[in-house]
Amino acid sequence: MAKKIVLLPCSGIGKAYGEIGRQAIYEVIGDHRPAEITTTCLAKLMIDDPEAKQLIHENIVITVDGCARDCARKNVETAGKKVDKALRVIEIFKDHRDLKPEGVLELGEPGFKLVHILAEKLGREIDCLERKEQ
Amino acid sequence: MSDDFMEVTYDKFTFRVRKDYWYHPEECWAKESGGLVIVGVSDFLQKVVGDVAFLELPEAGAELAPGGEAGTMETIKTTVALISPVGGTIQEVNGELDENPQLVNTDPYGAGWIFKVAPGNWEADQKGLMDAPAYFPKMEEKIKAEMAKK
Amino acid sequence: MLEEFKQVKVGIIPCNGEEICEGTLTRFACRKVLDSLRPNDTVTICLPLFIAGDKGERNFAKAFPTITVDGCEKRCSQKCTERLSGRPKHAIVISELLKEHGLEPPQSRQTLEEKDKAAVDLVAEEIARKVDEILEKG
Repeated sequence: MAKKIVLLPCSGIGKAYGEIGRQAIYEVIGDHRPAEITTTCLAKLMIDDPEAKQLIHENIVITVDGCARDCARKNVETAGKKVDKALRVIEIFKDHRDLKPEGVLELGEPGFKLVHILAEKLGREIDCLERKEQ
Repeated sequence: MSDDFMEVTYDKFTFRVRKDYWYHPEECWAKESGGLVIVGVSDFLQKVVGDVAFLELPEAGAELAPGGEAGTMETIKTTVALISPVGGTIQEVNGELDENPQLVNTDPYGAGWIFKVAPGNWEADQKGLMDAPAYFPKMEEKIKAEMAKK
Repeated sequence: MLEEFKQVKVGIIPCNGEEICEGTLTRFACRKVLDSLRPNDTVTICLPLFIAGDKGERNFAKAFPTITVDGCEKRCSQKCTERLSGRPKHAIVISELLKEHGLEPPQSRQTLEEKDKAAVDLVAEEIARKVDEILEKG
């Protein structure tokens, strides 16, 4: 059975980066192949939820962190899984510095443009990882 | 409180001031070392502006006036001017910040240093700066002002 | 010393659950409390940062009262807080709160619609009420 892709955003609530990562993941899951691409709650790994742990251990995991604190990547690694790819929203912003989100949760048009750009990058990373698996 | 820093905590944020540095009112610090003056930004500033995404800095050889603009620092929230606390010639710029500008956030007083200046007159420029005990209450006033903005 | 600014504040810890719509609701409700209902009385604790070991988040949650806001009965935020810093003063579970008040949960994880505003307000006001109880206000 082919592995699924598990996308895990940090969803940090203190900065807009967290919301951008979260929205990009929802966009990828909705637009692409929802049966093969999924997410789960990061905090479930901390409470040793068996389904969440099985999901990450048996599938390909991409983390999307807002910034260099890498909370999502660290949380996954603490749960015993080395992530297959780790992305940071701030790296996307560096290439599009004119796109400043309008708020932490209400991103506005420039924020959602960053979301779309990140979603496209995620799509490319997924294609790359899936090719490696074959 | 550690040996190297003065610290104060408000809510979940601890603000640090390096005891052996000198501070400009525009939130940059200066540290004399081996004839050069190393310059960076304060912990207070990096906390207020957020994760640094870009720095635009002058090149080695550029001349700076004390209190003059030395470049800019940009985050997802804002862009701020970087002020040089000392006049002189830039000898070196921190190349690590090209790939990893967030060193300014994670270690503003150490690995996040920004540039080094060969000072024209360090003694004179130093008189316009604050030592840590003088800067600390000023920083607390600014923290109070930031918190009152909510 | 600015003692008047070292007041007791309440840490709000939303689960941010990515898997269900209620997780999205926790984010909006908590930000509403932080930004407009009780801006001077609350601090938000970022759960992933808290779990990852950030000293600022952990020390605050140990020293000050907290309210966890979970999307569902798994109570991830509550359990993580208990494990890492201590029992929260209050633990809100949105799925239960909505059921009590006969409100439907949002239908989308991505966006909240106009009809979900009532749910955001309900949760935000409940959090604010608990903040007031902790701080013994009004």
